[in-house]
Amino acid sequence: MDVAETISHHILDHDWGVVLGGVRIPVTTHSVTIFAVSVLLVLGLAWAARKHTSRGGKLVSVLLEEYVSFIRGGIVLPNMGVEGRSMLPYFCTLFLFILSVNLAGMIPEMKTATSNISVTAALALCSGGIILFSGLKYHGLWGFLKGFVPSGTPGWLVPLIFPLEVVSMVIKVCVLAIRLFANMLSGHMVLICLLLIIFIVGEMSKAAGAGALLPAMGLEIFMTCLELLVAFLQAYVFTLLTAIFAGSVIHTH
Amino acid sequence: MEDLLKPDFGVLVLTVCNFLLLVYLLKKFAWGPVIGALEKREYQIESDKQTAQKARVDAEALKKELDDRLAQISSEAAQKMAQAVAAGQAQKDQLLAEANAQAQRLLAQAKAQIEAEKNKALADVRGEIANISLLAASRVLERQVKDSTAQQIVDQVLKEVEAK
Repeated sequence: MDVAETISHHILDHDWGVVLGGVRIPVTTHSVTIFAVSVLLVLGLAWAARKHTSRGGKLVSVLLEEYVSFIRGGIVLPNMGVEGRSMLPYFCTLFLFILSVNLAGMIPEMKTATSNISVTAALALCSGGIILFSGLKYHGLWGFLKGFVPSGTPGWLVPLIFPLEVVSMVIKVCVLAIRLFANMLSGHMVLICLLLIIFIVGEMSKAAGAGALLPAMGLEIFMTCLELLVAFLQAYVFTLLTAIFAGSVIHTH
Repeated sequence: MEDLLKPDFGVLVLTVCNFLLLVYLLKKFAWGPVIGALEKREYQIESDKQTAQKARVDAEALKKELDDRLAQISSEAAQKMAQAVAAGQAQKDQLLAEANAQAQRLLAQAKAQIEAEKNKALADVRGEIANISLLAASRVLERQVKDSTAQQIVDQVLKEVEAK
């Protein structure tokens, strides 16, 4: 049994090989998952918002309002101040999108798209765009660039500090992508490895394989619960860090 | 396994487009109405709070004004009460003085009347005594004396009576 091949098969993205007019269209398992999640989110939330405005569903209204209040009061306003209010829809979408894609991987036959570096890089790119937009919107180009140099820095240190601060910001955004990717990937790898223990031991001896079944399944259940927690945690961390970075360019030191 | 870290730029671009479109659609159909309703309600609550605060401030000002007026009325009442007590006292003192003066006057009048009555009685008694004395003397002596001698005797007797 090729363990690496099995793990790769379950984790790696699969291109469906759609070519249109000689141009490759990136229809892959992950992009389809993302698209499906997006459609479900749009339909579900549009329905919930309609219920909310018509005051039809009390539970739906309360959930929706609590969610928006949580993102606004727990993430956006404390880190970005009132300037972040205009970007609230972005953060509401970001958290729910990452969470939904993370949780989609827990459904059998579906893939965790956030375990793909291209997907997390795309999200980090959008967050980088928001950070850049925030800086430019509230300080202009010159003010935004000046914000990279802490006040009180001696003039001769500026040429050294400025590139360091710019690189630091770029790294922070890159780390957003890598953190989400690594956490979601590792969780799924562990889940698959735990399942593979049964088959690997079973190949050596059927009785030992049967004996490994219960401990492996126990660990699998434990890891699945942990994965659920990680799905929420990583969505929160990604959203929170984006707000903190955006807030740091709005309220410069 | 090395494919894990190999970025697929097609998926990257598609994901960016997908996500930005999702942000736009959700802002238009979901977050926009919910955030709008939430902010409207918060604005309403804030407005109600401010109205209530203003009403409370007004009520406190009114209460203070009423308290001040009550205190002023109480002070005026106390002042008027003191004035009334003082006026009553003055009237009482005046009445007492008048009563005393009248009593003194009546007493003096009574004393004068008594003195006059006494003098009148003394004069009556003196005349009576003189008559009685004359009668007694004429009867005792049973002799005739001259008028001038008799008068002298009477005067002497009267002086003796007065001296007693």
